[in-house]
Parts: sequence; structure tokens; C-alpha cells
Amino acid sequence: MFRAEILGLVTTTATKVAAAVALLGLVLTQLVFVVLLPALATGQVGPGAEALGDDLPVVDLTAAATQLDALSPLGTTLGGGSIGLALVAIVLLGVLAGTSDDRHGGIVGAVLASPRRSRVVMAKAAAVGAGAAAVGIVLAIVSLLTLVGSLALTATPFTAATGAVVATSARGVLAITCLAVVGLAVGILCRSQLTGVLVMIGALVAEPIVAAVAQLVGGGAAASWTQFLPVSLAQSVIHGGAGTVSGGVAIAALLALTAVALVAASIALSRRDV
Amino acid sequence: MNEPTPLPLEVRGLRKAHRGRPRVSDVSFSVRPGRVVGLLGPNGAGKTTTIRLLLGLVSRDGGDALVLGAPYRELVHPAQQVGVVLDAGGLHPARTGRQHLAIAALRAGVGADRVAAVLAEVGMSQDADRRAGTYSLGMRQRIAIAAALLGEPHLLVLDEPANGLDPAGMHWLRQRLRAFAAGGGAVLVSSHLLSDIQEIADDVIVITEGRVVAETTMAAVLADHTGTLEGYYLEVTGTEGVVR
Repeated sequence: MFRAEILGLVTTTATKVAAAVALLGLVLTQLVFVVLLPALATGQVGPGAEALGDDLPVVDLTAAATQLDALSPLGTTLGGGSIGLALVAIVLLGVLAGTSDDRHGGIVGAVLASPRRSRVVMAKAAAVGAGAAAVGIVLAIVSLLTLVGSLALTATPFTAATGAVVATSARGVLAITCLAVVGLAVGILCRSQLTGVLVMIGALVAEPIVAAVAQLVGGGAAASWTQFLPVSLAQSVIHGGAGTVSGGVAIAALLALTAVALVAASIALSRRDV
Repeated sequence: MNEPTPLPLEVRGLRKAHRGRPRVSDVSFSVRPGRVVGLLGPNGAGKTTTIRLLLGLVSRDGGDALVLGAPYRELVHPAQQVGVVLDAGGLHPARTGRQHLAIAALRAGVGADRVAAVLAEVGMSQDADRRAGTYSLGMRQRIAIAAALLGEPHLLVLDEPANGLDPAGMHWLRQRLRAFAAGGGAVLVSSHLLSDIQEIADDVIVITEGRVVAETTMAAVLADHTGTLEGYYLEVTGTEGVVR
């Protein structure tokens, strides 16, 4: 079943488009972070740091922490909690994989070949996970190359430790894999491609709004539960923890979220008429 | 003492309602080895629902459907035991016919060599590497039939398999189903094409409004009803002179 689902994944246009958009989105985001922002700060582009004032995010690419932040295969958030194009594309890769069979009737062949439908969901999850991990590795490499290239152009030393670079990239691949599988589960739950896409984009867009509202309601302090929302969790995983959530807790929570989504998708598919 | 060999298909008291309205009511029939059974009925009579029920695609409200002695969902390698054609195969328009069959072969657990074999059998070798989005309905139907044959099953369950087939394709299908039954296989085929069913079926089941109103042999039909299945069908369904 796994090989069948892998073949199904690589023979659809949606997968290739989603991977390409993720790659393009990442490159654009990274170029802004490692090329445009430093150029704005030095005045090579735009009116200069003084004129821009607080509107210009401070990016010190000589710092190891900033370099590691730039390595995120989902694209850096610039500390603003925004969602990147790469993130949207990765999640939609999962959603489209989850809805494709329903849209074109292939789900009937899948459940006829494997009447225990939870196996179908697990095979799809394994295939999407493997595909997303492969895309994640490419994104991590591109992220690293973009950073190294831009540092070389400005003669800035690469100060991040090799171990930290590898760990950040590996956690990034894990986060991408989990988000794609969550997208798959949402796709299976929604059945309709349009519904799945809207639900997932809505959730991604709503997360920073929910976090901001919770912060306002809490008198300016970030609500701890908002750190367990999917995008925040993924960013925490990539950066080895954030706020009160450690890296280990973030990984465990993201894996648990993925597992819960998959169980829900399995139950839904098992009970549904196809 | 040996266990009796289970029937390829045995349906007992199958029931299904949708929003309180019965779709299938107490449907019972069986398909024996070496027989082609035609499942007939007007549009909306419950033929497709019956087929989906016995394949476990739709949950039932009551009754049993045993495929080779077990509920379909309990079969270990179902695609190697039952070949199914529904809805022209559910082809993804971006995939080629060959890719579709390769996926089906992996799911069925059969060798990749079967893909080329069934493509040749349904006459799709030359068009196998075209995207399914460019296929005619008949070509999609041929790929669906090829997928059903992949696992070299003992039972074929076919819902309107002749849809879109050209005369040569229909002729091939008739011959293939007869040969399949002659080799000991069993076939349940639903169709509106009474002339085709008359040529290939050994037994006939007629469903109207979700109920089996007739179950007999083709020989009995032809002996009693002016030599045609059409006359029998119109009589038992009460649709003579009725345009649906």
C-alpha cells in the first residue's frame, strides 16, 4: 500500500506544484531575510536604517542565533508570527493528497484493495510523510545554500555551529513532515478539495490572530496555550523551543497533534460510505 | 470431512435506507461458480446500492453479504479474489492508464508484469501512456475492466461495464465474461443492455424499488417469454409502455 500511495503521490500535478511553490516561497522569504533586510539596514537599498526607524526589523546576520533562524526550511517568521508561503504550500500538499482520491473516485479502488480503511489512511500518511520529508530536506539544503551564499557575498563569517545547523535542519524536516500529514488528515476529513484548502488556510491565517487576541485579553502576556497551536508548535520545534515550551515538549506536542489528526481521519474514513 | 466450498457471492436480507427512505429492502440472492448473473432493474432500483453494500463500500442497515464465504471487509487479499468495476474506475485525469494500473497492481499485491498483460487484454497497450484526462468514456471503461482483471480474481462484480464501449469492445467483453465463467469464475453484472445480458447471463435477478422481484435462469426466461429477456423484464418490472 505504501508504494502504491507513493506512486499515486508522484504522479499527480498537485504534489509537484505544491513542492515547487514551497521552494519558491522559501527562496523569496530567505532572500528578504538574508539579503534585503541587511541591504536596507546599510542603506544599499532604500532610505537607510535611520529613515526607516522601528519599521526595519533588526537582523544581525553575524549572530549565530540569527543564522540558525534563517535556516528554517519553512522560512523565517521575522519574529512576527506571520505564515510563510512555504508553510502554506507544505500544508496544502497534504490537503490535496488527502482529497485527490475523493475528488476523482480513486478512494473506491483504495478501500476495495484494503477494506480495513485505517490501513489506507496510514499508508497515505506514510507516503505523504516521506514525500514531505524529501521536500523538507530540499528546502533545508536550499535554505542553507541561500544563507551561505548571502554571507559570502557580504564577507560575513558563518558562526553557527555545525551541530546546531544539522539539528535545526533536521527539526525543520520533522516539522514539515508533521504539518503535511496534518494537512492530509484534514483533507481526508473534509473530502472536498475546496473545503479542505479553505479550512487549512483559514486555520493558518487565524492562528496569529487568535494568539494576538489571547495576548490582549491576557493583559499583554502571551497565553501559554497559544504556543501549542500548529504553526507556533512547528516554529518551536524548528528553533528548539520557544517561550515556556521546550524543544522536546514542542516535538512531543506536534507528534501528538499529528497522531490525533490521523486517528480522526481513520475513524471518519472507516465510518463513511464511499 | 472437507468444509463445503463457499459460494462466490451470497446475499441475505440486505437492507439499506437513506434518510428514512428504503433503498434496498430484504435483498437476497446468490452467485454460483461458473455462472454469469445479470442484475437488472430500472434506474434508481437499487442495483448500484446493492453492489456497494455487498462490497462494504456502504454500511448496511441489516442482512449479510458474503463474498467467498466472508464479508468483503474481512477478505485478506480482496483484489486477488474479487475484480470490481464501478464508475469507470475512478481515474485521476493527470495519470496515464499505465500509472493507474501500476498503482492498482501495488495495492492488489500483484506483479508489475500483470499491468502489461491486462493492458494488452483490453486493447489499451497503445494508449496506455496517455493521460486519462484525454481518454474517452470507453477507454476509461477498458482501463477499469483491466484493473478488475489485474488480480486474476475468482469473482467479478461489474456495474454497467459496457458503458461507453464500442461494438468491438462490447463483443470482447461478452466473450471475456463467458470465458471467465467457463473457467469456473463467477460474475455479477448489472446492465441496462438487455440484449447483452441475454447473450451472456446464465441467471437473472431483477430489482425494482429496492426489492428482488424475480430471480430465475436465463433458460427459463427464454422458454416462457417469447424468447426475449426484454419481454420478461418489462413484465416483471411493470414498465411496459412506461417511459422513465
